[in-house]
Amino acid sequence: MDERLLLVEDDASIREIVSIGLTAAGFRLVTATDGRDGLARARAGEFDAVILDVMLPSLDGFEVCREIRKFSRVPVVMLTARTDLVDVVVGLESGADDYVKKPFELPELIARLRAVLRRTSAPAEAAPILAGGLDIDPAGFSVRKDGSEIALTATEFRLLLELARRPGQVFTRELLLQRVWDYDYLGDSHLVDVAIGRLRAKVEDDPSHPALIKTIRGVGYRLDRT
Amino acid sequence: MARPTIRPGGLRRRLVVAFVLVAAISAGSLAIASFLLVRQARLQGSLNARAAEARQDLILATAIRFPEASGFVAAYEQPGTHAVLVFPRSRTVASNPQVSPAIPASLRGIVSDGKLGYERFEVSGKPYLVLGGKVPGSAAQLYLLFDEASVQGNLSQLRNTLAIAWLGVVLLAALIGRALALRTLEPVARASEAARLMADGRLDTRLPAGPSDEFGAWAAAFNEMADALEAKIAELVAAQERERRFTANVAHELRTPLAALVAEASVLSEQRDQLPDPARRPVELLIADVRRLRTLVDELMEISRLDAGTEPVHHRVVDVRSIATALISARGWQDKVAVRGGPLTLATDPRRVERILANLIGNAIEHSGRDITVRTGADGDGGWVEVADGGPGIPAEHLPHVFERFYKADSARTGAGTGLGLAIALENARLLGGTISVASDVRGGSVFRLALPLGAGPGGRPPAPQDEAGAVSER
Repeated sequence: MDERLLLVEDDASIREIVSIGLTAAGFRLVTATDGRDGLARARAGEFDAVILDVMLPSLDGFEVCREIRKFSRVPVVMLTARTDLVDVVVGLESGADDYVKKPFELPELIARLRAVLRRTSAPAEAAPILAGGLDIDPAGFSVRKDGSEIALTATEFRLLLELARRPGQVFTRELLLQRVWDYDYLGDSHLVDVAIGRLRAKVEDDPSHPALIKTIRGVGYRLDRT
Repeated sequence: MARPTIRPGGLRRRLVVAFVLVAAISAGSLAIASFLLVRQARLQGSLNARAAEARQDLILATAIRFPEASGFVAAYEQPGTHAVLVFPRSRTVASNPQVSPAIPASLRGIVSDGKLGYERFEVSGKPYLVLGGKVPGSAAQLYLLFDEASVQGNLSQLRNTLAIAWLGVVLLAALIGRALALRTLEPVARASEAARLMADGRLDTRLPAGPSDEFGAWAAAFNEMADALEAKIAELVAAQERERRFTANVAHELRTPLAALVAEASVLSEQRDQLPDPARRPVELLIADVRRLRTLVDELMEISRLDAGTEPVHHRVVDVRSIATALISARGWQDKVAVRGGPLTLATDPRRVERILANLIGNAIEHSGRDITVRTGADGDGGWVEVADGGPGIPAEHLPHVFERFYKADSARTGAGTGLGLAIALENARLLGGTISVASDVRGGSVFRLALPLGAGPGGRPPAPQDEAGAVSER
């Protein structure tokens, strides 16, 4: 326990009750009330995870997330008041690891936070995996392609690791949601699709014609052996 | 709805027929009358001329006797004129043996009375005017045969000319009648086209301002009606849009305070055991009410999104039965709900199917709580899922309204539901190109049946499995 979290939320009531709830759950919390403040605090301190509201004054949650991604792989959970799919997708594409729809109950938020935090802790096996020209080192949380390191977020890394453990096997979105995001039932498969997109952008030579991570129409995804 | 059918062009046809009839009758009677008059005049003229000729010939034939008869009649023989000399009770001598008709008794009767008589008849296929008289001073009767072929020829030529002219007049009348009918009925055709366009939703359709006749006045009245209709409908659409936006805004504005409430209630819920006794029950009620409020706002948001028509649909090939099984176990309903029937594989949006089934099963649990069965199956049109309960059923008078928003069969009952669940389920089913029907029996419970197409969505779109990079941007 004792993970340090950054909460960026402009609504005073929500900020306070989330602080109370998360503190009671054993987290240490730093809060910020707007986008700029939040980004400044994210730059200044070391955090284990960031909780980011979307509708923020001065700089919205998507912008803050994109900025954070420029210097950090810290897990980001977005709080989206709008449930429009576009917002969810934009949020995920800006680099968020997961999202919680408002209104949410605290146990829900805590469960999502624990799930993203678990992804950053070292996986069970430590033996490096070589797959599709990638050198994946689970212990060191690093991926190398042609000798140069690729910066993946914890979620992207877990996703790649999951696929790379069994090259050639097709993973359904539901299975990936379960294994990577800890969703036990029909979560949002956009999480998978967007994360696959981000992963391809980083590991494929031509992300629009993926050679490594293939889509199996109507089923899911597969990492090719090559 | 039975509507009187309108045969297009019926009126036009009737107008043309009437026009043609009038023209045919008047031109026909004119032609016939003039033909008869001309015929009468020609025949009379011919008779008068021949009668004068015959009288002279009779004077010349005085005291003819039988032995001179042949030479005598030969003197009358000319092209187109022949003579026949009849001696009563003895014999007949003809100037031309080929033109030697039997003289009808009626004519012979007139002649034997000493009068000049005539008759027209055909001899060897040719029309002849036959004039006869008694030869003075003798019993013999002289009959002169005049060929009237030229007169009859002229008359039949006249008849043909008149008939052709009549036909021409009738044709002309038909053409003019058709043109007139088209011209007269053109405003009517235009008006019905305009009315049809309006019925199709083109409310800006107007008739061109015509001449200041009856049709012009009619067009003006039609346009006034269209203006009024367009304005009224625009008003209604605007009002509906305002209402829809208001609902969406209300739901949206409730979200932030509600988000705080929900979070606060969930913290309170965890601390329930540490609360002093008098506070515990109110806190429990508070938490339950916050949940209810949350459900209501969620559903208001959802229905206003469905109304806005911007909801995306993501088709995938899924087994509907396993969606049902999974949602039942995820919600802890296994003890109350049985699932029967085989797997049902469809190309549809699994999240929406889950939503629909959760609402239908939740509704069954709320209203019945027992004997709930979910059945899956397929027929020619697609797949279906039935949610049946053994509850008290829905009275027939409420049945048509169960999918209406906030409709409650028993207005006094305060159920746990928001009153939007079935409406949301139906909207979602429509979005997937399917529908929900309900059958109920006050003794045997209710059955809600969700029917889904095998593949394509509402627009006939083929099921699109999520593909490469563009999978999530479908709107």
